[in-house]
Amino acid sequence: MSAPTTPTRSPARRRRTVNNTIAMAVSAVVVFPVYWMVATALKQRAHILSSVPQFFPWPMSLENFTRALDKSGFWTFVRNSLTVTLSSVVLSLAISLFAAVAIARFRFAGRKAVLTILVLVQMVPAAAMVIPVYLMLRSIGALDFVPGLVLTYMTFVLPFTIWTLRGFVEAVPVELEEAALVDGCGRLQMYVRVLLPLLMPGIVATSIFAFVNAWDDYIFAYVIMKSQSNYTLPVWLVSFKTSESVDYGAMIAASTIFSIPVLVFFLLVQRRLVGGMTSGAVKG
Amino acid sequence: MAITEKRGPAGAPPRARRTGPPGARRPARRHLLPWAMVAPALAALLLVQGYPLVRLLVLSTQDFGPRSLFTGQSDFVGLGNFTRIFADSDFLGVLVRTVVFTVLCVALLMVLGFLLSHLLMGVSAWARVVTTVCLVLVWAMPMVAATLVWQWMFQPQYGVANWLLTQVKVFGDLSAYDWFSHPVPALALIIVLTVWKGLPFVALTLFAARGQISESLYEAARLDGAGTLQMFRHITIPIMRPVLAILTILEVIWSVNSFTPIWVLTQGGPDGETTTLGVYAYITAFSRNQYGSGASVAVVTVVILALFSVAYVRRLSRQGEVA
Repeated sequence: MSAPTTPTRSPARRRRTVNNTIAMAVSAVVVFPVYWMVATALKQRAHILSSVPQFFPWPMSLENFTRALDKSGFWTFVRNSLTVTLSSVVLSLAISLFAAVAIARFRFAGRKAVLTILVLVQMVPAAAMVIPVYLMLRSIGALDFVPGLVLTYMTFVLPFTIWTLRGFVEAVPVELEEAALVDGCGRLQMYVRVLLPLLMPGIVATSIFAFVNAWDDYIFAYVIMKSQSNYTLPVWLVSFKTSESVDYGAMIAASTIFSIPVLVFFLLVQRRLVGGMTSGAVKG
Repeated sequence: MAITEKRGPAGAPPRARRTGPPGARRPARRHLLPWAMVAPALAALLLVQGYPLVRLLVLSTQDFGPRSLFTGQSDFVGLGNFTRIFADSDFLGVLVRTVVFTVLCVALLMVLGFLLSHLLMGVSAWARVVTTVCLVLVWAMPMVAATLVWQWMFQPQYGVANWLLTQVKVFGDLSAYDWFSHPVPALALIIVLTVWKGLPFVALTLFAARGQISESLYEAARLDGAGTLQMFRHITIPIMRPVLAILTILEVIWSVNSFTPIWVLTQGGPDGETTTLGVYAYITAFSRNQYGSGASVAVVTVVILALFSVAYVRRLSRQGEVA
C-alpha cells in the first residue's frame, strides 16, 4: 500500500473509474423519481400533458404551486399535519427521555420487565393495530379528534425512541455525572446541564424518526380522520388523485411541498442518522 | 431480544456493575423515582398498544359487524372467523400473493443493497458523497409522495415511463399502456416502488456496517490469494450476519404489512389481484364492515411474522452468530 508501483496502481485506478461510473449511473436512476417530482412541479401546464415528456422544466413556472396552494383547505391541512406531527414528536420525546434515563441509570425492580415489554411491543406491526385502535377511539368518541391521532402516533414511536435514547444515555460515562454532583450540582441541574447536551445527537435522530413517522402516516389518519377539515396532508394528497380529473401538475407540486421538510431534515443529519441506527450493530 | 439489544451504541458495556446507578446510594428513593420516570411511557403503551392488542385478539373471536358498531354487542364465535377465512379461496390467494411479494421485495432489497454497499466501498470520495445524497433523498421522500410520483410516472398517456420504455423498443409500443389495470404488471410496479424506496435504508446501513470491518482482514485474505467472492463468503457476510439478519426481519415485517403503496396505486385491484395481507385486513374490516374477520386476518399476520422471526433468529443463533 505504502509504495505502489506503477503497474499495480493503474489497474486499481481504472477499477476506481469504472466503479465511479457505475455509482453515477446508479445514482441517476435512483434519484430520477425525486428529480421528476421537482421537475414536473416546475413545468408549465402545457408541458406536463405532452406526449413527449420534457426532461428539463423550461421555461420554469410556479403556476402548479400556486394552484396547489389555492386549493380549498390547503392551509388547514398543513396546519393539521404540523399540529399532529409536532405535538407527537414533543410528547414522545419528553416521555421517552425520562424512561430512557430511568432504564439506563437505575437498577430497579421490574426493569427487565420494562425492557421486555419494549421489545415485544416493537414486534407488533402498526398496520395490524388499525382495527382495534379505530374501534377504541370510536367507543370513547375520539374519532375525528386530533388528540386521538397524536396519542396514536406518540405511542407507536415510543418503543423505538426509548430504546435508542437508552443507548445514548448509556454511552455517557457515569463519571461525568458523578463529577457534576461532587461539584455541588443538583440532580436536576446535572441532567439539564450535563446529560442533555451530550444526548443531543440521540435526541435529533429520534425526533426525526418520530417526525417522519407521523408526517408520512397515511393509514391511521385516513381511518381516524373522517371529516375533511381534519385531514392531514397525506390524506388530502391521496384524495387529489381520486377526484375525477386529476390535476397532475398541482398534485405533484403539492407532493413536492409535502416532501421538502423531510428531504431537508434528512440531508442535514444524514451522517448521524445512519450512524445512530447501526452503531454497535456489528461489534455488539 | 437479540434483535434490538444490538441497536445500542457499542461503547458502553451493557451490564457492568461499575456503571451502576448513582441513585443506588439513596435506598429510600431508589424504587419510586425510576418508576415515576417510566410510568408515563408505560401508561401510554398500555393504553394505545396493550389494550388494542387484547381487543384485537378478542375481536378475532367475535362476529363484529356493522350492527355491533352501534349496539356495542357482538357474538362470540370462537375460532369461527379463522376457520372461515382459511376456507376462503380469496384469503388463500392473498396469502400466497403476500409470500411472493415479500420474498421478491426482500430478496431484491438485500441483494441490491449489499451490492450497492460494496460498490460504495470502492469509489472515490466525491462519488460516495453524490451517491449517498441521492440515496438519502429517496429514503427521505415520504411514501405517499413517492407513490403519487410513481402514479404520475406510469400514467398511461403522459407518463415518462411509457415514453422511455417505448423508445427503448424492446417491449414494443407501450404508449397508453395502463399498468394498473393488469394484475401482474401492477404488482411488479408496486414491488419496484417498494424496493426503490427501501433500498437506501438497506444500502446505507450495510455500508455503515461494512465500514466497521477492519481493512486488515481483507489485506490478509488478499495476501493469502482470496478472490472477491471468497472474501464475501468468508469475511464480509459472516461478520455482517447480525446486521443482515436484523434488516431481513425488518424488511419482511414491513413488506408483509405494506399498505400505502398498494392502496393508493390499485386499492388492491383489479379484481383484488394486488391485495396482500395488510390491505386485505383493511378491506375486510373497513370496506366490508366485518371487523371480526379483519381482526382475525391481522392476528394471522402477526402470528406468521412472529413464527418467522423466532425461527429465523433461532437458526442464526444455532450458527453461533447472533447471541
